[in-house]
Amino acid sequence: MKITRRSFVSSAAGALLLPSEWLAAAQQQGVASRGVAPQARPPASGRPFNAHFANVAQQAGLRIPTIYGGIDAKKYILEANGCGCAFIDYDNDGWIDIFLLCGTRLDSAPPEATNRLYRNNRDGTFTDVTDKAGLHAVGWANGVCVGDYNNDGFEDIFCTYYGENRLYRNNGNGTFTDVTREAGLLRGETRWGAGCSFVDYNRDGHLDLFVSNYIRFDLARAPVPGQASTCNWKGIPVNCGPRGLPPGRHLLYRNNGDGTFTDVTKESGIAAATESYGMTVVAADFDEDGWTDIFVACDSTPSLLFMNNHDGTFREEGVLRGVALSEDGMEQAGMGVGIGDYQPVGHLDLFKTHFMGDTDGLYRNDGTGSFDDRTRAAKIGVETRYVSWGTGFADFDNDGLADILIVTGNVYPEVERVLPDSPYKSPCILFRNLGNGTFEELGAEAGPGIAEPHPGRGCAFGDFDNDGDVDVLIVNMNEPPTLLRNDLSGRQNWIKIFLEGVKSNRSAIGARVLVHYGGKVQAQARVSQSSYYSSCDPRLHFGLGEAKTVDVEIFWPSGLRETIRGVPANQLVTVREGAGIVKNRGWSRS
Amino acid sequence: MRLLQKTLTLLLLAALLHCAAAQNRDRAQSIAAALNAGDYAEALELLRPALQASPGDARLWAMQGAAQAALGEKSQALASYRSALKIAPDNLPALQGAAQIEFDAANPDAIPLLERLLKLRPQDEIGQGMLAVLEYQQGNCPAAVDHFEKTGSLFDSKPDALHAIATCFVRLHRPDQAVPLLERVLGQSPGDEHERRLLASLQLMAHQPQDALATLAPLLSTGQSPGALELASAAYEDAHQTEKAVDALRQAIVLDPDQVQLYVDFAALASAHQSFEVGMNVVDDGIELHPNAAPLYFARGVLHVQLAQYDSAQSDFETAYRLDPNQSLSTAALGLADVQQNHLDRALATVEERLARKPNDPILLYLQADILLRQGAEPGTPDFEKAMHSAQRAVSLGPGLGPAHAVLAKLYLQAGSYPRAVAESKRALEIDPTDQSSVYHLIQALKKSGETSQIPELLQRLAQLRQAADVKEREQYRFRLVDGSNSAP
Repeated sequence: MKITRRSFVSSAAGALLLPSEWLAAAQQQGVASRGVAPQARPPASGRPFNAHFANVAQQAGLRIPTIYGGIDAKKYILEANGCGCAFIDYDNDGWIDIFLLCGTRLDSAPPEATNRLYRNNRDGTFTDVTDKAGLHAVGWANGVCVGDYNNDGFEDIFCTYYGENRLYRNNGNGTFTDVTREAGLLRGETRWGAGCSFVDYNRDGHLDLFVSNYIRFDLARAPVPGQASTCNWKGIPVNCGPRGLPPGRHLLYRNNGDGTFTDVTKESGIAAATESYGMTVVAADFDEDGWTDIFVACDSTPSLLFMNNHDGTFREEGVLRGVALSEDGMEQAGMGVGIGDYQPVGHLDLFKTHFMGDTDGLYRNDGTGSFDDRTRAAKIGVETRYVSWGTGFADFDNDGLADILIVTGNVYPEVERVLPDSPYKSPCILFRNLGNGTFEELGAEAGPGIAEPHPGRGCAFGDFDNDGDVDVLIVNMNEPPTLLRNDLSGRQNWIKIFLEGVKSNRSAIGARVLVHYGGKVQAQARVSQSSYYSSCDPRLHFGLGEAKTVDVEIFWPSGLRETIRGVPANQLVTVREGAGIVKNRGWSRS
Repeated sequence: MRLLQKTLTLLLLAALLHCAAAQNRDRAQSIAAALNAGDYAEALELLRPALQASPGDARLWAMQGAAQAALGEKSQALASYRSALKIAPDNLPALQGAAQIEFDAANPDAIPLLERLLKLRPQDEIGQGMLAVLEYQQGNCPAAVDHFEKTGSLFDSKPDALHAIATCFVRLHRPDQAVPLLERVLGQSPGDEHERRLLASLQLMAHQPQDALATLAPLLSTGQSPGALELASAAYEDAHQTEKAVDALRQAIVLDPDQVQLYVDFAALASAHQSFEVGMNVVDDGIELHPNAAPLYFARGVLHVQLAQYDSAQSDFETAYRLDPNQSLSTAALGLADVQQNHLDRALATVEERLARKPNDPILLYLQADILLRQGAEPGTPDFEKAMHSAQRAVSLGPGLGPAHAVLAKLYLQAGSYPRAVAESKRALEIDPTDQSSVYHLIQALKKSGETSQIPELLQRLAQLRQAADVKEREQYRFRLVDGSNSAP
């Protein structure tokens, strides 16, 4: 008898070697991807979809490309992940403006390489006011989060960088000042800042700041394509990582209420969490206990869910609560996060984007902050072709049900030359909500803007033209952005709710809003960052279907619960904490 | 077990003599004298009237059993012992005699007899040893090793028994405890190459690569044992000495180019280090020499999959199946290659076509359930029911097939049958304690069942498994093999 390790194991122990074990062992690469097949597509519903998207970036004046690393090849992962954007009403005129992050190149920065602020001209066009606003900045910007950290009534901006992050204080006169140093946020070391979120975790009315870090990355020593096994994709040398590179550590800064911040990472329990490749950060009250929790999508490592202990500390419970790993307990490449209520039943669900060869993840919240992976049940698993980034729940056709949009784009420009089925530029994915717990993927039938292929990354949702629907701003790598204008037809109703905190932080970040309409109740959260490294329109938009009035319940971050009944549809309402509906700033109805 | 048998017979006689004396000195003395003198026929003659006079005397029945057993009348002896035990269930001589006869026949009926015996005499090492062997024969390894551990040095000179218990330790995922047993065997016959390689295999399973290399050293020094070189290759790889692993395997192939498994091992090693082309070249050499070796086509097919060369992979898997239609792996690989290409329908069709020919193949049944699940079969649908049925049959036909238990656990989890999901996850983890998915499914099932007490330990275990997998992955990434040389960092 020939004795080998294998023959002994199989004969003596009755073990069985399956090819899947071998296949799985050898299918590893730099990014976690389960290599899952798409679900079978159900037959088309045949139902009309009234939202119709056209890319109007060019005519809107958004023509400058977002510089981000090499165009035809990416030597380092630093060039590959791209950045986010924001819909922000920086001048409080009731029309949302645009803030676009930007990267640079490895060799030298081209002149157009800067973050950009575009003022909304209220006619469908925008004017670049970057220099005037004092926001010209060159570097590897990644994430943006928006919030009024000094409660002066004007939204401030925090940007994460590979290098030093930056806090821009809004001066209220159309300009910003970089106050990173005076706020105590200068680290004096190079970090790969990734996601960020303003969050009032201790309910003192001042916005604190959570920052995720992606990789501890040293450009001088970083491996190059093909150098290690984590630098290959299906045998093709590509940029390395994140696997094989040391993961980042995440930070929590407490707002001292005087314009400065203190690092409380250790005492808050954040430091105790597993090291991970942190990306987008979403802070909201997932277990409905009145205290804001923090979710961090993590690339190729378990995502993190920090539950608020009400005493200035957190406990990490992502695995236990079902949002850290795939349904089979495997790591996924968590990039972007959507937050919304897809059923709608009044609880905040999560949607997380992943790498190609994997499904994105839909997680249903049972109201206690415990989640069920409903990806396949909801038919989200029909799509696995693309690398997914920016995402969000938004009711694009105002039928009262939150749809899902996903921005896609590959990270390896080199690959499509060898593997044409892995294109560098890819379309958006739109899942329309069918109202029965499932979604239907739409392509060009939702408009040409959806089908246009781009190397997309972050995106922000908002109503830039104030016509009562949700538009989308998308960052594209080394291309001008996409501005998807929603040309909605039909006569469905809607309402927008803008919150102004008094005892709570002025931006009301952390508030949870329930809107009751037509027998449904839908939850939304006021967050500082979502999608992929991006910040959305601060006005919460609810499609209402046929409903003409709504009841609104607001759970303010201060703990106050406020109810307003019988609010007519098709308008923006501003609710001041404790004072009910007050006069809007600028625009109020289309 | 010959020595055992003799020892037991002597003990039995001694006990019988003692008992007879206490019962009826005169009559017993005569019978005992006859038994003692080995005059079993005379003893039987004396026993006949004695039993007619005292049919309720268990000791007389036991003595008759002993005489009959000595005369080779096993079935009559067993009947006599049984009669004794009906009257006196704790009659030691009868228990010992009956257990011996049943043990000799490898009959599990010996088990309750020995258990009763051990209740009376817990220190009885022979009884413990017999029970260990019987439990092993019944496939009950936990009980077998439990009894084995109470046998002292009884088995020290019994290679068969030591092999049996070592096998049990392996089945129980305790290979480190099997190692000393085979060390004892090898100690008795140090020149036995077979035993030496067996011990090295166990040391490898116990992740003691340096010990395995030490065990193999005498064989490696001759440079003439391809089997030893193959094991050494595995040991070097486990010890993160990839260059030496590659060297050893190459030497083995040169020494024994007809051993197909060596090419397959090389392919696996190359695959683990993402050196698919190098692996492909070596397997090509093997195919040139062995154009009808199904495992080589299978191995090459797997390498093609890594390189996303699905058409070539498909062709190789088909060839492997044509050459050896009785093995399921190439069908499974065909299905998995289709799964990788997102051709789930094709994967399912392939598996179901083969299942029509081999309806009781647990691997194919598992694969069918797995593909249906991947296709998104939802509870309440016919596909889900089909997946459930196939997974249930897979675990029934192949109880050692861990992935099948894992798939069944997932199906139960989706169906809301949480206690069953818990049970199947636990079974999957018994088979493969490193299965992260099963730990995760177990956590989710326990959470849904409201049984939260085990969850903290499981969360910790999952984190440890992840960490271990990361370390392993990093080690695999350290080397890529380079064609024509040993390896390169």
